[in-house]
Amino acid sequence: MADAMISVDGLTVEYGSNRVLDNVSLEIERGEIMVLLGGSGSGKTTLMRHIIGLEQPTSGTVKIRGVDINHCSRKDLRAIRCTMGVAFQEAALFNSMSVRENVGLPLHELTTLSDSIIEIMTYMKLAAVGLGEAIDRMPQELSGGMKKRAAVARATALDPEILLFDEPSAGLDPIVAAGLDDLILFLKHAFHMTIVVVSHELASAFKIADRIAMLYRGSLIAVENKEAFKASTHPRIRQFLDRIADPITESAAARDHLSQLAGLAGAS
Amino acid sequence: MNMLESIGAGVINGLAYVGGLTLQFWSGLRASPRALVKRGRWRAAMRQMAMIGVEGVPIVAVMSICTGFILAMQTGSELRKFGALQYVMDVVAVGFTREAGPLLTALIVCGRSGSAFSSEIGTMVVTNEIDALKTMALDPIEIVMVPKYIAACIVIPCLTIVSNTAGILAGAAFMFITTRITLPMYLRYIFNAIDMRDVFTGLLKSLIFAAIIVNVGCMEGFRVRGGPEAVGRSTTSAVVKSISLVILADVFFTAIFYLVRKD
Repeated sequence: MADAMISVDGLTVEYGSNRVLDNVSLEIERGEIMVLLGGSGSGKTTLMRHIIGLEQPTSGTVKIRGVDINHCSRKDLRAIRCTMGVAFQEAALFNSMSVRENVGLPLHELTTLSDSIIEIMTYMKLAAVGLGEAIDRMPQELSGGMKKRAAVARATALDPEILLFDEPSAGLDPIVAAGLDDLILFLKHAFHMTIVVVSHELASAFKIADRIAMLYRGSLIAVENKEAFKASTHPRIRQFLDRIADPITESAAARDHLSQLAGLAGAS
Repeated sequence: MNMLESIGAGVINGLAYVGGLTLQFWSGLRASPRALVKRGRWRAAMRQMAMIGVEGVPIVAVMSICTGFILAMQTGSELRKFGALQYVMDVVAVGFTREAGPLLTALIVCGRSGSAFSSEIGTMVVTNEIDALKTMALDPIEIVMVPKYIAACIVIPCLTIVSNTAGILAGAAFMFITTRITLPMYLRYIFNAIDMRDVFTGLLKSLIFAAIIVNVGCMEGFRVRGGPEAVGRSTTSAVVKSISLVILADVFFTAIFYLVRKD
């Protein structure tokens, strides 16, 4: 697709004998919000880390605007990363710096703007996420929701084209989480950013997503728009949507082990 | 066969580790010209200088005074038998400028700052701060390691001078107590006994120790994988490995200086 901002092709990731991602192919278009949905251990954070180029895949490619992020020059990688903003799950603010320094860091490092302009921009970015008053606080003095918003302000400092969120609403109360959803929608509409959100929260996904990609045990089982996703009949998607727990299956080996522990070996 | 295998594996691991250190040293060196012209790096380096250097002065001074006094007493008790107590001054002067000053300082910095480097960077790895730097197109080596490197290379030789001075003054106290040699007399003797070449080789060694301590501390930090307990392990390992490497490097360079001096 000519307009694909991010294109993942045949991405396979193995850690030892454990296959974390299995032949995942996904195209994310310019200006859309793609939610990567999946349960714990489904590989969604791993997929995001590969899209950012933090890890080397076992096979397959990740291209950002047509440039292979794992096989490009240092200069190209730098150029790509300057157009990407990432808000990590635990916010990953630099603990030794104030909120102001955290948000100002990419501006100081990667632009030639004067200090006074950086100061104004930092304040504007923080005001946009509602943290104008917390500008001089240290990260330790912020609540969970404030930290995540500060991380968003830092991720958007350079006005990126692509914004990635890892579990923006994890560990937050519903009101703060809803605020973050609104913020994501605002960023999309105001700046026409391409946004990738890793999440397991259905309510949030349905609110913000243009399309939803569902991962199950490392495989991509669906890439649909909201309505098609809600109406899906795929058993794993239905299980996820209807909140049905996996049955606790007891293997023969586990049963044997238990009966041995109980001194009942041989008796069954 | 098994023993040979494990020896082989140990050697390979050791070489891989030294290789990793060399690569990291090289990337640090390559990032240095960029870092040296940035105000932010110097600010960070100044903070590190305060932590490694200024805060380290008291302990380096006290430990050096103690070591100087011990050295004087131990050699004094032997030399007294030959009525050659004045040679204690030579032993203290040469011993400290060539060896005890640089080594003692490096060992104290290993314990104080090597551990701090690895725990700081290890925590940054665990909390994704290093990943955040990378995704902002910033080089963690340049931002996190190079300021420490600049600071250590400036401050550790300074601490070594503090240690030399403190050790030699401890010798003065010993000489005053035993033979009533006053400080001016002692200093006159000491300045004759000290060879400036010894002082410079000592400072050169301390520069090498500084590079080792920063490299090992940072590398142990960057290699942290997992949770907080991995940070603890990396801290221990940073101290143990940097102390061992400092002593190995000391043997190596002392041998070189010894051979050069012979001709």
